[in-house]
Amino acid sequence: MSPQLIANIVVLAAIYALVSAGYVLVYRVSHVLNLAHGELMMIGAYILVATAGLFSGNPILALLLAAVSGLVMGLVVYAVLMRWLTGEAVLAAVLVTIALGILLRGLSILIWTTQQFYPAAIFGWRNPPVHILPGVQISVASLAIVALTIIVYAALFLFLQFTAWGVRMRAAGQNPLLAEQRGIRLHAVYALAWGLSTFTASLAGMLLSLDSGVESTMATIGLKAFPAALVGGLDSLFGALVGALIVAAAEIAAIQFVNPLLSDVVPFLVLLLVLAVRPWGLFGSREQLDRV
Amino acid sequence: MRASAYLALVALAAASLLPAGSATAQDSYKIGVTAAMTGPAAATQAPVIEMLRIYVDRLNAKGGINGHQVDLLIEDDQAEPSKAAANATKLVRQEGVILLINSSFSSTYGPVIAEAKRGNVPLWFAGAVCPKETHPPKADPLLFCSTGFDFSVDIPVAVKAIKDMAKEPAKLALVGIPVPISRIGIDGAEKLAASLGMQAVDKEFVPPATADYTPFATKIKGADANWGFAYAPWPAEAKTFEALRRLGWTGQYLAYGHIQAEDELTRIADGGFEIFMANSLFQDDLPVHKQIRDAAAAGKYSFPPTYGTEGWLSGRILEQILTKTGWPASAEKVTASMSSLNLDTQGIRGGPLVWTADNHFRTKQSYRFYRYDPDKKSIVRMRDWLTVDVTD
Amino acid sequence: MKDAGSSDLALFGTPARRIRLAVALVALLLLPFVASPFLLDLANQVLLAVIGALALMLLTGFAGLISLGTAGLLGAGAYTVGVLVREAAAAFWVTLPAAALLGAILGLVFGLPSLRLRGLYLAISTLGLHFVVVYLGGEYEAREALSTGVMIDPPSIGRFSLTSDIGWYFVLLAFAALALLISVNLKRSRTGRAWRALRERDVVAEALGIDVHRFKLLAFVVSATMTSVAGALFAYYRNFVSIDAFSLYLTVQYVAMIIIGGMGSIPGALLGAAFVMLFPYAIEAAAGFLPSRFGNVVFALDYAAFGVVMILFLLLEPAGLMGIWHRIRAAFAARRATSAPKSAPGSASGSAPGSAP
Repeated sequence: MSPQLIANIVVLAAIYALVSAGYVLVYRVSHVLNLAHGELMMIGAYILVATAGLFSGNPILALLLAAVSGLVMGLVVYAVLMRWLTGEAVLAAVLVTIALGILLRGLSILIWTTQQFYPAAIFGWRNPPVHILPGVQISVASLAIVALTIIVYAALFLFLQFTAWGVRMRAAGQNPLLAEQRGIRLHAVYALAWGLSTFTASLAGMLLSLDSGVESTMATIGLKAFPAALVGGLDSLFGALVGALIVAAAEIAAIQFVNPLLSDVVPFLVLLLVLAVRPWGLFGSREQLDRV
Repeated sequence: MRASAYLALVALAAASLLPAGSATAQDSYKIGVTAAMTGPAAATQAPVIEMLRIYVDRLNAKGGINGHQVDLLIEDDQAEPSKAAANATKLVRQEGVILLINSSFSSTYGPVIAEAKRGNVPLWFAGAVCPKETHPPKADPLLFCSTGFDFSVDIPVAVKAIKDMAKEPAKLALVGIPVPISRIGIDGAEKLAASLGMQAVDKEFVPPATADYTPFATKIKGADANWGFAYAPWPAEAKTFEALRRLGWTGQYLAYGHIQAEDELTRIADGGFEIFMANSLFQDDLPVHKQIRDAAAAGKYSFPPTYGTEGWLSGRILEQILTKTGWPASAEKVTASMSSLNLDTQGIRGGPLVWTADNHFRTKQSYRFYRYDPDKKSIVRMRDWLTVDVTD
Repeated sequence: MKDAGSSDLALFGTPARRIRLAVALVALLLLPFVASPFLLDLANQVLLAVIGALALMLLTGFAGLISLGTAGLLGAGAYTVGVLVREAAAAFWVTLPAAALLGAILGLVFGLPSLRLRGLYLAISTLGLHFVVVYLGGEYEAREALSTGVMIDPPSIGRFSLTSDIGWYFVLLAFAALALLISVNLKRSRTGRAWRALRERDVVAEALGIDVHRFKLLAFVVSATMTSVAGALFAYYRNFVSIDAFSLYLTVQYVAMIIIGGMGSIPGALLGAAFVMLFPYAIEAAAGFLPSRFGNVVFALDYAAFGVVMILFLLLEPAGLMGIWHRIRAAFAARRATSAPKSAPGSASGSAPGSAP
């Protein structure tokens, strides 16, 4: 296996991992699978298009604004939609997220049409290749995705382990009743989980759009990252990292050595294989199975 | 709260049962359009149909055709065959349109053709792939196509052009997407390249929503290709090329120039990325381009004006068809009028667009080749109209 | 999962119900003779959707097994017809049973994960079915150079071939009625009770002596067979098959049908199918009243509105259209009860929405 292939796997795994983090965050805390995650990621990228148009001379401001909007988006989704489903059947909440996805796709065409947008071009940025090793090149945007994925995961680990809010989130995920009795405000914790989830999704969408633009099919990438989260186990952030690596490696191996036509199918085949052996994913906890 | 939500739903349901469009006057030309206005094909089709609508709005503002308004009824098929079928049924049987326009994925053609034949209404493919049934010398009496691209004609032109342009023996990489039409075209290109003594060293089919194009590009580069040829929707064509360049690939690349091509060539700004297409670019700066630009501004076109060429041409074709149809109009009269079309394309194409009784496509197809010139910092024409005969 | 009233299908009970049923039947039989061609086409589409929605309702609404394989199964059925007609010029009495058989086999294969997986994990594993069918269909179309799909002649016996929409209406009505009959019977049989036990809690079901594996697989097989036949009928009705017709969005639409109709209710599946099929035309009609043309806005609006309606149903009325129906009936009964205070208070509650949150 050539070094370039390994670099490709790392980049693709970083993309899947960054997207998967949001699936895991929301699932771990509220046991809801958010099937509008890809659409929320796409909206995050479109928001960058909007802020880039407003502040084309000040990319840092535009990026910051878009990132903050990503966080706010999740809080709004929770406050307007998901909070009314707390305590309802989990399936109802999942179906609401499917409906939200359809709504967001329609809205994005309404606002941004079906045209392709390139925020990098608005900033006047090029996306040149970087030689990281002899004979191994990746684009600046890809390098940024890898770096950001590492930062985001490190920050999330620290946040969940060592901060008060992180502990509250884990507590709420493990036993909401007990957590509430101990004075944890569940709505605040869930809202934070949604906010962080769309924040990371937005970061992924923004970087992908800086790399290769955004149009209405970007939402589908959310679906492609989905097997990564499940392979690792839906309630494990570490699992999402490993799952992303496995799925990315399988996909790239299929493209390189078997048949590029399989690239859409392989992640789901890997998923079926893992679910057949360990239905709760590689690093997921077993009791989660009974909850869904 | 709940009661009012239910009331709104009931009202909506009731509204659906009313015969839609009954308010429109009986003395207009009713034209039906089923097109991919949303969904996966919308990036290519919606700009065509929106410009066609702007053109028709302008016609109507000037008093219509032969003193009658043109009523353009647009239905969205989301590139789904079953939606297209329902749209065609509605337009033909309920609205009684005298001409049906289809602008979507080729997978929608089957049911729409069936419906047009059942209603004996002419069917015109505008801005989407041309089915073989429109080709001379045995065109189907009811099917017409004005679109600039058609793989059976485009692919041989492209492969031969690469053969001509290649200075050293071409090792060709082919790029498509995993849908039948693109795969058929790419497989055809592979065979033709072999017969011309070129080696097809790699063949990639890139899914429409790909997170990273680098793995595909890595394989092309690894196969040691020095030429790339892409026949796919624009994003797959362009993004694969960009990924190749980021890997340090130095070869040349030819792709079909879809409606986004003019904006995109400037953005990518790479001298090795060549496009070929049947429509002229705004770069050629003809009077008609200025007209399109003005119409786009006045009609609040949702896309850059350069996306509007195909839709504008469709508008001019429609104008001539209806003018010759006269009044009162009928589907038979429209069919007859379409079978004797002779439109001066004003430089949008490499010659007039001519339809006759046995040719509902064109007997000659012309292509221009463009690329971005980094020294001049603008798009340049590499080759003026290259004309080929269309044989079945 | 909740049940939107379990007594709603004691159809043949009271005389009043019998009369209502007869009126509905006459209306259904007369419809094609008064409907415009467009409405007739819509009616046929609804009937096709009814078969698929009932199949999904059996699986998800009755047995509590979530599946995202509807579009894949519809595609498998349609493709069976397409391939057999194209390769062997097979007649419909060969293709329809073949589609049913393939559906049953696929149901068995993709039901197997249900023995280990539950809930969302199961749903995801059925997505595998979707991708496999789409991949195989795409391979066939590309190999055979079929850029516009496979064209299929209408089904025919001797010199008679089914081409008229009225003819199709009655054929589809018969198939939908058959699907309805199967569903009603299954729901009221031992199988239906076993499914309900599975849905509530399969560990308990097992303790009660129910063969959990057998009934789970049975649910998958029956549902997949019905869906596959619906796909085959779709291919004949539209005279063509193309893999692009079977997107994931189609699956979402079928899931929406059983939610909007009311989970666990057979009439709910019928109402849901009709609602989802007719809704885009309602939006369009409503948009027609807007002051002027809005360019592409209408189409994006249509798309977005579908999402909004699904959300409204899920948030406001989890029991779906059937829940609304029960509520309306309860309200009428309550009014009657207040005007005639002597009537028994329990009479209205017989089929009250047992599930309103």
